Amino acid sequence: MANIKLLEQLCALRGISGDEEAVRDFIVEQITPYAERITIDAMGNIIAEKKGAKPAKTKLMLNAHMDEVGLIVTHIDDDGYLKFAAVGGIDKRVLCGRSVIIGNGVHGVIGAKPIHLLHSEERGKAVPINDMYLDIGASSREEAEKAVHLGDSVCFHSLFDTQNGMIRSRALDDRAGCAILIDMIQSELPYDMTFVFCVQEEVGTRGSRTAAYQVQPQAAIVVETTTAADIAGVPSEKHVCSLGKGAVISFMDRGTIYDRAYYDLALDTAREEQLPYQIKQAVAGGNDAGAIHATRDGVRTIAVSLACRYLHSAVGQIAQDDFHSAEKLIMKLAARIAGSEQV
Amino acid sequence: MEQLKELLFQLCSAAGTPGDENLAAQQAKQALEPYCTDITIDHMGNVIAFMGDPHAERQVMLDAHIDQIGMIVTQIDGDGFLHVAPCGGVDRRVLPGAPVTVYGNETLTGIVCCLPPHLVEDDGNKVEPVDKMAVDLGLTKEEAERKVSLGDRIIMKCEPRTLLNHRVSSAALDDRAGCAAVIRCAQLLHDKPLKCGLTILLSTREETGSQGAKTGAFRIFPTEAIAVDVSFADQPGVAAYKCGKLGAGPMIGVSPTLDREMKDKLVHIAKDEEIPYQMEVMGGSTGTNADAIGTTQSGVRTALISIPLRYMHTPVEVVDLEDIERVAKLMASYIHHR
Repeated sequence: MANIKLLEQLCALRGISGDEEAVRDFIVEQITPYAERITIDAMGNIIAEKKGAKPAKTKLMLNAHMDEVGLIVTHIDDDGYLKFAAVGGIDKRVLCGRSVIIGNGVHGVIGAKPIHLLHSEERGKAVPINDMYLDIGASSREEAEKAVHLGDSVCFHSLFDTQNGMIRSRALDDRAGCAILIDMIQSELPYDMTFVFCVQEEVGTRGSRTAAYQVQPQAAIVVETTTAADIAGVPSEKHVCSLGKGAVISFMDRGTIYDRAYYDLALDTAREEQLPYQIKQAVAGGNDAGAIHATRDGVRTIAVSLACRYLHSAVGQIAQDDFHSAEKLIMKLAARIAGSEQV
Repeated sequence: MEQLKELLFQLCSAAGTPGDENLAAQQAKQALEPYCTDITIDHMGNVIAFMGDPHAERQVMLDAHIDQIGMIVTQIDGDGFLHVAPCGGVDRRVLPGAPVTVYGNETLTGIVCCLPPHLVEDDGNKVEPVDKMAVDLGLTKEEAERKVSLGDRIIMKCEPRTLLNHRVSSAALDDRAGCAAVIRCAQLLHDKPLKCGLTILLSTREETGSQGAKTGAFRIFPTEAIAVDVSFADQPGVAAYKCGKLGAGPMIGVSPTLDREMKDKLVHIAKDEEIPYQMEVMGGSTGTNADAIGTTQSGVRTALISIPLRYMHTPVEVVDLEDIERVAKLMASYIHHR
């Protein structure tokens, strides 16, 4: 069973790209008694070597990213309002009306012009990100400058809710992956494996690039979340993947053509272990695999993801069953890859 | 100020959409209990509480509305998603991807469906009308039907937060801020004998047409009434002439539909007591309960005081606690004055 309590702790931490320290510290604390060697590289990635029962026949790296999408304070105006830029692919439609936490814990809100003062055509139009600002209650620039700084990270306030077999939270992308990897490190593994918890995935898969360079794996499993569009108003051919139908296995996305033999191996493993799985039904999105598979002379790479609705917004949603079964599948697949010779 | 904040946060945390205000009403009733006698909740859901002299000729009524905007479940579809209609003037631009609470036969957490970016047309500039949106509970149709009935209410999930400068943010500050001002006024008047009668009306259904204030005022039929609501505060993108200033005190309403003498007296008292205030001039209808109260029975002299508020009808409305305190003080002085 994957660890929901651990996931809750991970999701409570704020860590937008480039500001992953709180997440990193927590993960290091969690894995220190269980890993053979832990290094933090210049980028801030965690590289953890875990001893298994036997030496691996193929050097395998498992990857999840620590960072999450968010906002960054770019300007403080004369009236004490803050302007911001998006960090990672945040959709402007999910920003208005959200409450946020800035820097060291200052509360703020992203307001909107009152509906009563809008022209009828404005009512059905998303507010452009450039027209938005954060209100922290300051009445002047001086007051605001005492509380926040340019470059401060901004995160959504969120909830962590496990009603009805789901998990609803901010930052499931990719703390869910981190939780699965931590749980693996804390358990007995059949072979030696290397785990990396990367920074800056959301701003161009930068952390995994340097991590993979150092680890020099022969094979990699990227553990991620991926967009599920199985929601009201979307025809089934556009669902990409669905909650509750098992781990999502990708053959190709916008960053990677996955290793064909490992793709087949992932499907075979799921079938033979009787674990639910689904194939990602779109060539869309991208993740750390894009950087990893093209590192040095190439790394055979596969991605196993959790289907997640409302991926880059204040609250995403995954299914608890998927979280548990995906961890089992990743464990089995990792053992098969690490236990086979490269030919 | 801490005590006022606590009261306000308690009021904001209790749900009360139009026609379904009971949780908020019970919370307000409890807050009024130390100061008032004869607290009742009438068949329209209005909270009515009395203090002072029931036999005095002068009978004042203070009104604030207890309801908040929300949504109402209109259909459960084949995949278990809830389809909804607005219940009051919901701003659809803040809905996609928002966490919500559904008040079914248990309290459920949901998310308003939001298309992933790769499926969005028109660069994501268009926001669908509320009746084209749906709420995701992560339930199948059968499970959803067991837990939710058509007509159940939904509000946006947003905890009250403290900002800088005595400013706070929450959903439902429209008009729980007004309710807090009225309750605080009762507290201020509590230990002094009143020469008049004072009835507090925390009225229902303002957001769907002021039916609570209309019937509540009929029942009470005071000699004069003050409606306390929220009004637009300064914010980027809104012309200064259309709004008041946050933190600059009560907005005293001036309109052909409001009583001039009462307005003059409020201004006079504010000056006398050095309570900062601002004028809010409207050309006719005020868009508040004052409109309905004024024409009750044979007519009720009515004034309007508004609390400046930013981002009205979003889950992150912002008010300044100082403004609420000043509204309470102004009303308390007005009631004592004669």
